[in-house]
Amino acid sequence: MTITAPQPTQTANAPFKKRRLPRDIPRFLILCVLSILFLAPVYWMISTSLKTEADAIASPVQWWPAHPTLDNYVAVLTSPDGNILRWTWNSLFVALTFTVIHVVVCALTAYPLARMNFRGRNAWFWIILSSLMIPGIVTLVPTYIMMLNFNWINSYHALIWPGVSGVFGVFLLRQFFVAIPRELEEAATLDGASNFQILWRIILPLSVPSLVTLAVFAFMGSWNNFLWPLFTVTDVDKMTLPVGITTFSQRYTTEYGKLMASTTLAAVPALIAYLVAQRFLEAGLSTTGLKE
Amino acid sequence: MTTTHAPPGQHTAPHKRSRISLEPYLYLLPHAVLFFVFTVYPIGYGLYISMHRWDLLNSNQQFVGFEFFRNLFTAGTPQFEFFWRTLLNTTFFTVVSVPLLVASALGLAVLLHRPIFGRSFFRAVFFMPGILTVSVMGILWRWMFDNQIGLVNAARDLLTGAAPIPWLSTEGLAWVPIVVGTIWWTLGFNMTLYLAALSNVSVSLYEAASLDGASPWQQFRFITWPMLTPITLFVVITTALASFQLFGQSLTITNGGPSRSTQSVIQYITEEGFTNSQISSAAAMGFVFGLMMLILTGAQFRMMARDVTSSSEGK
Repeated sequence: MTITAPQPTQTANAPFKKRRLPRDIPRFLILCVLSILFLAPVYWMISTSLKTEADAIASPVQWWPAHPTLDNYVAVLTSPDGNILRWTWNSLFVALTFTVIHVVVCALTAYPLARMNFRGRNAWFWIILSSLMIPGIVTLVPTYIMMLNFNWINSYHALIWPGVSGVFGVFLLRQFFVAIPRELEEAATLDGASNFQILWRIILPLSVPSLVTLAVFAFMGSWNNFLWPLFTVTDVDKMTLPVGITTFSQRYTTEYGKLMASTTLAAVPALIAYLVAQRFLEAGLSTTGLKE
Repeated sequence: MTTTHAPPGQHTAPHKRSRISLEPYLYLLPHAVLFFVFTVYPIGYGLYISMHRWDLLNSNQQFVGFEFFRNLFTAGTPQFEFFWRTLLNTTFFTVVSVPLLVASALGLAVLLHRPIFGRSFFRAVFFMPGILTVSVMGILWRWMFDNQIGLVNAARDLLTGAAPIPWLSTEGLAWVPIVVGTIWWTLGFNMTLYLAALSNVSVSLYEAASLDGASPWQQFRFITWPMLTPITLFVVITTALASFQLFGQSLTITNGGPSRSTQSVIQYITEEGFTNSQISSAAAMGFVFGLMMLILTGAQFRMMARDVTSSSEGK
């Protein structure tokens, strides 16, 4: 590939693009078909939720609800077996609290690791970073026993604290803090700013994008957490949304109208949040190579 | 620690003696305490639990040494049978799903990379399932693949008139809803990573190749694919790690059935520990399985470590 640097002149570029247009049509059609396949389950979820139970399992299949009804939603929202709004609130409270604590703790740790000099700085950074190699399954059982010992089973504490010291956030913020030019900090130091003022007035405001990214991921991680709350919260009123929904799936084994109403209700907050946070989410994924 | 940017002489000296001494450690303290309690301590505690016969109703725990580890390597014990069988299940799922998850994400990213009408809409559609929580996704796909009247069977009936397939209760076929559901659910993450990587590949390479008469396939084979090797490595490792942690999908779609054929090793460990109250046995399994995962987590760690080293050099 030894080709002289391209000179993307207008004349060379314009016909190149135009020529490609017809070739885009198959690509567009493929994307349309794939989108339909991707959206079909979502359509099916909503459509089933609006059918009567008889229509939901009718044969031949009803592609469109013949007798659209909101009865399933009423049944699910007034179910004596669990309150979906309560679960949503639990999830929201747990995820928000977790996110705030996690971001604060990570920022406080990342700051000296990135910007100060002290004995043991590198050693400590590598120690906590290497903990990323410990698979969660190793600490699952002992942490559960600790929750029993702390009397935290069926409490929000069990859902919030164990993950707060997650090291990925420290890594993410440390990498970002390191890249901030030193000059700003030096000028502030000369003006007599304390370290905390530097963190609060210079580092953090400059790091808003990475803080938001971390917050979005922390929130999503906590909101979607499934295994841990499944075993640490058995009290129906304390359940988070993902866990509560599964109790419905045991309760309404084959009543798919009600099941789909409950999953639709559970999906709505996530979809709204996605539309709001989409920008940060995708930008964060792209810049950090971070993944659930 | 050699800092290239430390303020010269006069500034560092008084700082070192008066302030720097304690302050950094105070910042580290909250995280360090939580890190010790919820990361370091549980490892030691887990080892302690796994070497006793832990009884939740008793405060005195009997020491049994490596008995629960030995069980896992002694043919004939139920732990031996089910641990390795569910580990095999999980490995099977990983081997099948990782290539599909990587290839389909790459394919979609290539389709979506160049500008096209409705591009952001398509991106949103492919990413959206990933924000659903696992139980929503699982219950939905259980319904999609329902033995009798699921949408998949209905569509088959419409297209080919074939009799419904009892997906969920047929050994082997029960993996289909789990794998398909997982692809639908997590594809968007890998796709986004690939899209970001693709946007870093210089357009001029393609323009030059296209002037030289390279076919789209040749362009992919000799430009796109080699340029994407680092991100592919990352995607493969993180996807494999996620696949080995299979839990929610098989729990909600098949509940591990029929007859444990889709039970994941993590589901078995939780069954042993929390349903059967064999706490110590489950802790031992956690260690053994965790040790196997170390190959993947170690590779992931190396990638991050490289990131740290390069950023330190660059500063």
